[in-house]
Amino acid sequence: MADLLGQLEALSKGARDAIARAADEKAIEELRVRFLGKKGELSAVLRGMGQLSAEERPRVGEVANRVKDEVEALLDGARRRLEAAKLEAELAGPPIDVTLPPRRLLPRGHRHPITRATEEIAGIFARLGYEVASGPEIELDWYNFEALNIPPDHPARDMQDTFYADESTLRHGVEPGTVLLRTHTSPVQIRAMKRIGEPPVRIICPGRVYRSDYDQTHSPMFHQVEGLCVDEGITFADLKGTLAAFARAYFGPGTKTRFRPSYFPFVEPGAEVDVSCSICGGSGRIPVRAQGQADEPAPERAGGSGGRELREGGASGPPSGQTKRCGTCKETGWLEVLGAGMVHPKVLENGGIDPKRYTGFAFGMGVERMAMLRYGIDDLRLYFENDLRFLQQF
Amino acid sequence: MRISLNWLSEYVDVPSPEELAKRLTAVGLEVEAIERTGTGLDGVVAARIVASEKHPNAEKLSVSRVDAGRGEPLQIVCGAKNYQVGDVVPLATVGTVLPGGGKIEKAKLRGVESSGMLCSAKELGLAEEASGLLLLDRKIAPGTPVAKALALEDVLLDVNVTPNRPDALSHVGIAREVAAALGKKVRMPAPRLAEQGAPARDAVKVRIDAPDRCARYAARVVEGVKIGPSPLWLARRLESCGVRSISNVVDATNLVLLELGHPLHAFDLDKVAGREIVVRTARPGEKLTTLDGKERALSPEDLLIADRDRGSALAGVMGGGDSEISAGTTRVLLESAWFQPGGIRRTSRRHGLKTEASYRFERGADPGMVIPAVDRCAALIAELAGGTVRPGIVDCHPREVRAPEVRLRWTRPAKILGMDVAKDDARRILAGLGFEERAADAEGATFRVPSWRADVSIEEDLVEEVVRTKGYDAIPETLPHGASDTPAEPLEARAVARIRAALEGAGFAEAVNFSFVAERELEPFQRHVATGDGTGRALGIALKNPISAELSVMRTSLVPSLLKNVAHNLRQRIADVRLYELASVYYPNPDPKQRPSAEFVEVAGVILGRRSPASWATGADASDFFDAKAAVAGVLEALGVEVRWRPRGDGWLHPRTSASLLAGEDVVGDVGELHPRVAAAFELPRGVLAFRLSLDALLRAARLVPQHRAIPRLPAVLRDLAVVVDEAAPAAAVEGLVREEALVESVTLFDVYRGAPLPAGKKNLAFAIAYRAAERTLTDAEADAAHARIVKRLAEKLGAELRG
Ligand SMILES: [Zn+2]
Repeated sequence: MADLLGQLEALSKGARDAIARAADEKAIEELRVRFLGKKGELSAVLRGMGQLSAEERPRVGEVANRVKDEVEALLDGARRRLEAAKLEAELAGPPIDVTLPPRRLLPRGHRHPITRATEEIAGIFARLGYEVASGPEIELDWYNFEALNIPPDHPARDMQDTFYADESTLRHGVEPGTVLLRTHTSPVQIRAMKRIGEPPVRIICPGRVYRSDYDQTHSPMFHQVEGLCVDEGITFADLKGTLAAFARAYFGPGTKTRFRPSYFPFVEPGAEVDVSCSICGGSGRIPVRAQGQADEPAPERAGGSGGRELREGGASGPPSGQTKRCGTCKETGWLEVLGAGMVHPKVLENGGIDPKRYTGFAFGMGVERMAMLRYGIDDLRLYFENDLRFLQQF
Repeated sequence: MRISLNWLSEYVDVPSPEELAKRLTAVGLEVEAIERTGTGLDGVVAARIVASEKHPNAEKLSVSRVDAGRGEPLQIVCGAKNYQVGDVVPLATVGTVLPGGGKIEKAKLRGVESSGMLCSAKELGLAEEASGLLLLDRKIAPGTPVAKALALEDVLLDVNVTPNRPDALSHVGIAREVAAALGKKVRMPAPRLAEQGAPARDAVKVRIDAPDRCARYAARVVEGVKIGPSPLWLARRLESCGVRSISNVVDATNLVLLELGHPLHAFDLDKVAGREIVVRTARPGEKLTTLDGKERALSPEDLLIADRDRGSALAGVMGGGDSEISAGTTRVLLESAWFQPGGIRRTSRRHGLKTEASYRFERGADPGMVIPAVDRCAALIAELAGGTVRPGIVDCHPREVRAPEVRLRWTRPAKILGMDVAKDDARRILAGLGFEERAADAEGATFRVPSWRADVSIEEDLVEEVVRTKGYDAIPETLPHGASDTPAEPLEARAVARIRAALEGAGFAEAVNFSFVAERELEPFQRHVATGDGTGRALGIALKNPISAELSVMRTSLVPSLLKNVAHNLRQRIADVRLYELASVYYPNPDPKQRPSAEFVEVAGVILGRRSPASWATGADASDFFDAKAAVAGVLEALGVEVRWRPRGDGWLHPRTSASLLAGEDVVGDVGELHPRVAAAFELPRGVLAFRLSLDALLRAARLVPQHRAIPRLPAVLRDLAVVVDEAAPAAAVEGLVREEALVESVTLFDVYRGAPLPAGKKNLAFAIAYRAAERTLTDAEADAAHARIVKRLAEKLGAELRG
């Protein structure tokens, strides 16, 4: 018995020494087989137990089990140690080249700046309770002109060179010369009033409009956003407040608005609305940067509402203290961006609304211009060329 | 309208140009530009020629000594011949830079020193042509700056006059606005008319046959005139406003036009047959040669100023060549009339003739100015051309054009403006603008609109007059009261947002193209529109007056525009293109009375080039049908639309590599490779992929609000199935048969194999199938039985063989 216990003792010691020296997983496995395997040392010792007495057997068995547990624990410990060392070694290795470009399975998509500007404008008015309305682009003269207080021989028709449809490509039933491409989004006012019936009416109508003029600064197709608010007690002061709120939301919190009398046949009184220049902040001058990058618009920041604050942050180079003429507002400090006014009583009537009871205001703006001011686009033609080098900037 | 400040200040006291511009803009007469003239002539002074002799070394030159007011006379070499000793001429002194850019320096000309240059009107930038030195008034003191002597220093305002304000198309008109804005008085021109001889009515008769078109026709006769050039001040005055100087008589009419805003016409009375003026509409087939030399076929709607025999002017638009003032004219018939605006506009447009006269008449001339204008002009002609004015006006006045009376309730401004306007304020402002108070009571007052303000006819107009004078700045800023109902975002808007997000997420850039294209570009799409009574056909709604044939038909498909965009980008050496557009296509509406067109929103896209962006990390495979299908599937999934894919898409697609999408019987769209012939027509390479989807069809099939289903808690049994079927058997058909087995929960096609050891015309499809029962744990035996049923069904229906 003492012999067996001695063997077990020796086995235990041998295992401790060998396991402590094990350098890898393979060595550990070999040691496991050597000590604990079916043909291993422990089995060899236990085979000798057959010669022991019934009293001795449990004692030796107990020691053998302890030795077995001990060796197993040592093997586990060695394994964990090795794994930890391996992990440490892996973690300590050289980093991958994180500057390699990302793995893009698809390119990034882009939304056209006109859509972006339209969505922003409509979004601001949605927060003010305006609903989006739409109407046909191929319109009847009545909706585009007459209902808007522009009778057939009215000189205001000169303000808008009109495309007319060739009646032979329409169905029978239209008067010759009465089908046109809408020259503004204003006909939607009439259609919307007729559809909604009883005020309140609060709509915004973005869309394509057409005028037969094509040069550097005119496109035969462009985009407008029209707004209409009709209810009891609506006043010019409400118009001013609404557009001032819009201008601050679109161009930035410090933006000022200025109303000047003007003429649009479908409103009375009518106004042109200027906003303080978003490029120079209304001063008419812009700082000259040392690196001469003051002209380039800064990229839009995520979640930002644009405007001057963001642009300033984006220009690089220290201010040199000098200023130069702001080309965007031609040094006036103001940008003409909107036409507006109180809806003409005849227009309300044509929309089926009683002008004795209700008043309303309407306004309109050109989306191309709004987008130009927001994104620093300087050439109208870029919008419709659909050059990816342009589109990918948005 | 160009306004000369020198001129304007004859009628009203004006502040500084900048202040004036601000005030005019503030009342609605936007000043778009301020231009200073006569500033380039700083070193040019009047010089008297005191001696002149021939140049010793040059035939064509002479040497003059001039007194330029500097004590010592200056020696000048000069090439002109049109002067005498004693004349006063402009001298550009040394250092002057002339308007043409030439700098005057002290120089020797053929050996003789010259200290400056004597100038012609052309050299001073005052005339297009000149034949010699500009001879100045001999009374001008030598040394006087020429800009001052000729009153060349001026400020010109470019005023944007809106179409409702014809009254502001003149210097007196602007003066009225300035006076009202600044609380000043207008000094109206007061012609001194010395009438002489037999009455005018003995020289000419006037008859109006179309009183609805011409409410008044007043004529004066000036005799013994001598036609000649206008004096420099008059020519300058016209030119500064952009009107060319022609002759003294014609210039007089133009001066009055720019001064009073009333168009006048001068006839050579001796060319007026029968000494008779008839205002009538044109006769069928009648022709008239207008002053611009064009013979015009007239419409019976055109109004003519005729003599006994024929037409002599297109009334209110342009005179005729036959009765024109010429060098030999001695007797002038001066016309001042009031024409109905609409008729003038129609004639002007019909003949493509836009003149200063038609521009004003079609906007509405001032009926109150007919007589003052003819008086003023007659006096001016007598003064300039030396004639005498016959007594009296031949005044034919069949119809009174009366300005309306408009009532203003004192409470109305507050209702419209949201700002109280004091009764007295309103009265004072309206009076200042020429509105005459006719009656008043506690609630309001009635005002007679001045004759020149044809644009004012309702109460709101009066409110505008008041507020534009007070300034819009006075109005407070408020927000409309009360929130309106918040409707749910319309279905269409939500769908559009999801479509955009899906396509942009799939790498598409949004394009925006013109709605009109060239007719030939629509041909491959063959989406003919029904015209006329429904039996006619066209490729799309065409424009009558397009910019060009390239932009002449409203598109019935977005695809051609996108194909042009692809071609553009290829020319820019951009090889990988993914573009989409979301816009309307246009068809005639069968019932066009309220809506001539039926407009449908479509979304279309194109793909060309690599599947993934060029990169170290991805392959360089070219996109194919399944990339386009993926983009379309992304849209469908975003909207919850389920479709069937039917081989062979629309005719513009490659018949073998394209498909139509159907939801029920509804064609939702088409997708595939562009037909090689269409690609060629758009000068594109093979391999362009394209799709189009109808928003309406998508909306009909959309399920925008997902419905929750419980997550399965019980385990599924997974089995793979590999079957060999005919090449012609669609994968969807195989999958459909698999799904007929009730226990099948999901089917994923994970491999398609063709080639050895399979025979030609066969393919192997490998599916991963999940079997699951809703209420219990499925046993392997149950799943195996289901699997066997599927294999049997596939064998029966498709002749499919299980692949070992
Ligand atoms: Zn600016």
